[in-house]
Amino acid sequence: MFRFDADRSVEFCDGFRRRDFLHAGSLAALGLGMPAFLGLKAQGAVDKSKDNNCIMMMLVGGPSQLDTWDMKPNAPLEIRGPYKPIKTNVSGIEISENFPRMAKHADKYAIVRSMYHTAAAVHDTGHQMMQTGRLFQGGVEHPHIGCVLAKMKGSKGDVPPHVLLPRPIGATGGNMPHGQSAGYLGKTFDPFTLNADPSDPNFRVPDMLPPDYLTALRVDRRRNWREMVDRSVSKFETSQDARLLDSTFHQAYTLMSSEKARQAFELHREPEKIREKYGMNRFGQSCLLARRLVEAGVRFVTINMFETVFDEITWDIHGSKPFSPISCYKDLVGPMFDMAYSSLLEELQERGLLQNTMVVGFGEFGRTPKVNPAGGRDHWPQCWSILMAGGGVKGGQAVGSSDEIGAAPKDRPTTPAEVAATIYHTLGIDLETELPGAQGRPIPIVDRGVGPIRELFA
Amino acid sequence: MKFVAFLLALPLCAQTALQILPPQAELRAVEAKQQFLAESQQGGFHNDATSKVTWTSSNPAVAKVDAAGLVTPVSDGDAVITATIGQAKATANVKVAGLKQPFNWSFRNHVVPVMTKTGCNQGACHGALAGKNGFKLTLRGYDPDVDYDTLTRQSLGRRVSLADPPASLLLQKASFGIPHGGGLRFKKDSLEYRVVQEWIAAGAPAPASTDAEVIGLESFPKQATLKPGDEQSLIVRARYSDGRVEDVTRWVKFSSNNEGVALVDDYGKVKVTGHGEAAISLWYSSRIIYSRITAPFSNQVSDADYRKFTPRNFIDEHVARKLRGLNLAPSAPATDTAFIRRAYLDAAGVLPSAEEVEQFLADQSPDKRAKLVDRILEKDEYVDYWAYKWSDLMLVSSRRLGPNVMWSFYNWIHDSVAANKPWDQFARDIFTSSGSTRSNGALNYFFLHKDPIDLTENATQAFLGQRLTCARCHNHPMEKWTQKQYYQMVNLFARVGIKSNSTDPNDVMVFAKTSGDVNHPRLLRPLPPTPLDGQPMSLDSTEDRRKHFAAWLTSPKNPYFARNIVNRVWANFMGRGLVDPVDDVREANASSNEELFKALIDDFIAHKFDVKHLARTIMNSSAYQLSSEANATNQSDNIYYSKYIIKRLPGEVILDAMSQVTGVPTAFPNYPAGTRALQLPDVQVKSEFLTAFGRPNRVICDMSERSSDPSIAQALHVINGDTLNKKLSAAEGAVALFLKLGLSDSRILDHMFLSAYSRFPTDAEKQSSLKALAEARNVNGTADAQKEARRQALEDLLWVLLTSKEFLFNS
Repeated sequence: MFRFDADRSVEFCDGFRRRDFLHAGSLAALGLGMPAFLGLKAQGAVDKSKDNNCIMMMLVGGPSQLDTWDMKPNAPLEIRGPYKPIKTNVSGIEISENFPRMAKHADKYAIVRSMYHTAAAVHDTGHQMMQTGRLFQGGVEHPHIGCVLAKMKGSKGDVPPHVLLPRPIGATGGNMPHGQSAGYLGKTFDPFTLNADPSDPNFRVPDMLPPDYLTALRVDRRRNWREMVDRSVSKFETSQDARLLDSTFHQAYTLMSSEKARQAFELHREPEKIREKYGMNRFGQSCLLARRLVEAGVRFVTINMFETVFDEITWDIHGSKPFSPISCYKDLVGPMFDMAYSSLLEELQERGLLQNTMVVGFGEFGRTPKVNPAGGRDHWPQCWSILMAGGGVKGGQAVGSSDEIGAAPKDRPTTPAEVAATIYHTLGIDLETELPGAQGRPIPIVDRGVGPIRELFA
Repeated sequence: MKFVAFLLALPLCAQTALQILPPQAELRAVEAKQQFLAESQQGGFHNDATSKVTWTSSNPAVAKVDAAGLVTPVSDGDAVITATIGQAKATANVKVAGLKQPFNWSFRNHVVPVMTKTGCNQGACHGALAGKNGFKLTLRGYDPDVDYDTLTRQSLGRRVSLADPPASLLLQKASFGIPHGGGLRFKKDSLEYRVVQEWIAAGAPAPASTDAEVIGLESFPKQATLKPGDEQSLIVRARYSDGRVEDVTRWVKFSSNNEGVALVDDYGKVKVTGHGEAAISLWYSSRIIYSRITAPFSNQVSDADYRKFTPRNFIDEHVARKLRGLNLAPSAPATDTAFIRRAYLDAAGVLPSAEEVEQFLADQSPDKRAKLVDRILEKDEYVDYWAYKWSDLMLVSSRRLGPNVMWSFYNWIHDSVAANKPWDQFARDIFTSSGSTRSNGALNYFFLHKDPIDLTENATQAFLGQRLTCARCHNHPMEKWTQKQYYQMVNLFARVGIKSNSTDPNDVMVFAKTSGDVNHPRLLRPLPPTPLDGQPMSLDSTEDRRKHFAAWLTSPKNPYFARNIVNRVWANFMGRGLVDPVDDVREANASSNEELFKALIDDFIAHKFDVKHLARTIMNSSAYQLSSEANATNQSDNIYYSKYIIKRLPGEVILDAMSQVTGVPTAFPNYPAGTRALQLPDVQVKSEFLTAFGRPNRVICDMSERSSDPSIAQALHVINGDTLNKKLSAAEGAVALFLKLGLSDSRILDHMFLSAYSRFPTDAEKQSSLKALAEARNVNGTADAQKEARRQALEDLLWVLLTSKEFLFNS
């Protein structure tokens, strides 16, 4: 009986020794956007010189600008809230006392303090706009930026191009899509979703290797026979789900056959000290996993800090049940973010990855300047702050500003579409690119005339 | 026959006469206007000729008409408006009356609509919960009295200046005479400006309770069949409580639900962009109606294609009409083998056994499909399957329920399905009962949802397909529900009493209290308990408020109750709800075939909310019995039911089917051997397989809790995980049995295909499989080694069948 492991030389029942027997054809079979990539490259839509990655942190719930990165210490108490600003390692930039470690890294990130959107003040709309650059209207579901990247650049090595950690955003009240899928591009370009909690002591991606009782020969034979049987039935060709099933099997086999790809997911290979530095919680360990994945060749990692805003402590500080109290920024959510974000920037820089890895962190909106009767703050898409770092972003600056109570942008009002354009720009994707929507109708990846936030790269 | 005659009667090539829409109009005020459309039809297509015809009035001293078809009143009397193009002519009568009476713009019916249309009171601007820059309007003008007060009394009267109307902030800001964060909303020379200015100049009359209110909307045309590139204007008229009918197109908010088919601008002009169908929603004064734009696909479809689609019941007539309108040919009828597998899986969540398939194929009677449907609907597995489904809906789980009461909740659901309890009765049993949760399982609903707010939100979601959560803190930003309606509804559940039983903490008594109220959070007083758009009950009444709710909920007149459940049952069989997502049947979510939907709802109500009757009606339709194989015309159709929509099986069904085919049941900890996944009352039972394949958590009532998307984790689990691999190699499993019986490879293949796919292998499949098996068993060594090689090869082949698309999907 031979233990299956493709990266070692394996002896087969037929007496031959082979390496990577599953590899033959697997990359081509994975086919994730390769034809699209080649075609688009020929058209010049993909800038090969910019092989940048992106880690996107969705701060689900919507952090309050006034209690995080845009403090208003001179405003009246009911505006400035319970927290005090602290100095950072960049003179002139202050952030909330809830983020003491971030204060030591302010030279690495830029804060955009003049974000706003004009759609309905529900979580779902902001999720859509921040992750796709657009509000979903008229039945068109736009693709997540990472899914567009997956379509245009395909995978790098044996890992999927876009991984979503740890689980997709669930219910946040609006019953609308959250912009975490490939939308009109089709499910083939959906992210690889972990669907497990990386802070679980027994965390592993389940079933990455065949059991002892199954020989490599049989695993290989099953694969070949399966393809033979599956090909003979034509009716599935028109089904999106059926095509997705094919691609999930291909990706599963690719993961199985690549030791490097498997190890990327094996968090237990990290020293305990490193793991603790990120925080032994779902978000902290997801950030650490994101670093490992980028190192292994994943181009885009989306991390959902929370999955819902109901009955969970999140950024959504309405102050009443089932939502969160404002105090959680000091007790839980703030420290959790502070540790993970700071550690990620630190490590990316130490490893020389920050230059080609953009790290963005944002919520779907800000919060009401005035503290509500429950001591919390409600939804406020009119003004909020986001974090941008890496991938060429010049840290240590605040771009845009808000008025004296953080209620509206004062200068350089910035929209979610511009953030999307900034990420595309960093990833080397031409903003003029059009993608095929329903019935082949070309849809530009960002609205015409929307450009990147140039100040970030100054 | 009647049906075929109807199809043949459709005007396919004839050019119909020119027609004016609307056919007549009455103008009862100086400022009243009516836009007319000139329409003709050719080859089944509509043609908006409004700008091409010549418009004339028989009596310009009564009513004038301009070149664009816009009619304005001049003096009281009658006039005939004529549209002429070439030889074609059409007329419409116009009556002008009441012009001598003084006219004032109305705050309720003109000023508020201006603010709505131009966006002032939308959620992103002054309609926001906190307003904007200290100026707060009610969202989309739902409360004109409050808005009137805000405009005229607050801010030292600067917003509305009676002394100098143009100096009013309202006008200056909106026309950008002075800086305005919201930019230019309307120009100084616009109608909007004039409406507001003249209203102020007239002394800014307040809204009165005697103001006429909108009681209904109508649109012209209601439906139009067009080609990509075509344009079509839409007209919307409002009917008021005083009998007046007015063209309100200029104040309507338009949007398209499918911009890939049609776009619509702010003035109601539709531009067709692709093939298919789009519902244009027309929103005015908290009411919404639709105009439907159909752009038939450019397919070659003949009458013969439709004749092959035999209508078996009313479903088919509606489906056929829709397909014809869109130039989609229905797929061929499904084969017997496809049908039996599909029917078993959709109705009972199990595969037919190999023997059942063989018997069905051998049956020669013409009504064998209907008889099969009847048999399946009487199976115990039918009850398990629907009990599981309704347990998803009712959130049955041991997460919060102790084992005893969880079982009593589940058993109540199971018994209800077994008795085919009418759906209204099912709901009433929950909302009108009192007593112990242990002896009456339905009452656990009130244990899971203890809080009046939670009860309100869950009840409306589970039974009405409405999400109310947004209205908890403010008026619903995307729906018509207000925060006031929300708290009136909440108060219906203010008197649900729960008393613990000292001996068993899980067994509680649910009873109706005679006092207690929930306050509106800002008015700080209770509002008369009122079900959404139903009748209020007195705050003093001691009647069980839940009964009032249940009567409204289950009334045949409730527009959402039957709609919600019919959509869920339809989607279970047809792969997609008539409205999608399946649990979102709010008015602003248009259905793909409203006539069909309405017919199904009417039939369901006429049959006293009989779920099994509904299932039978659907399963016996030709639409359900279509092949999933696309033809040249319907490859991309997944909306209009021109073919059976392929769907991945639910995780529980896959697991049970794997158990069934391999002959090895799944062991669930603490459940008797042989319990199927679909018989579990609980979703907390540990199962790696079900977790990977997307089992709902039953925490919130939301269809998105159940994911059926294929994932890499699922692939890894069936390739490497123990669940399937151990079933295949089990000593008591199917492969071991085949070998023990000494069956030939050929017989074994037949049996495997029959039990996994409900069909025999094709010749090609058989040849290639036999060849593969022969090669695999051809190993050197002892007889035992060869036997072992054969066993492994058979296991591998069965693995292949059980991980294939044909197995994992219902097709």
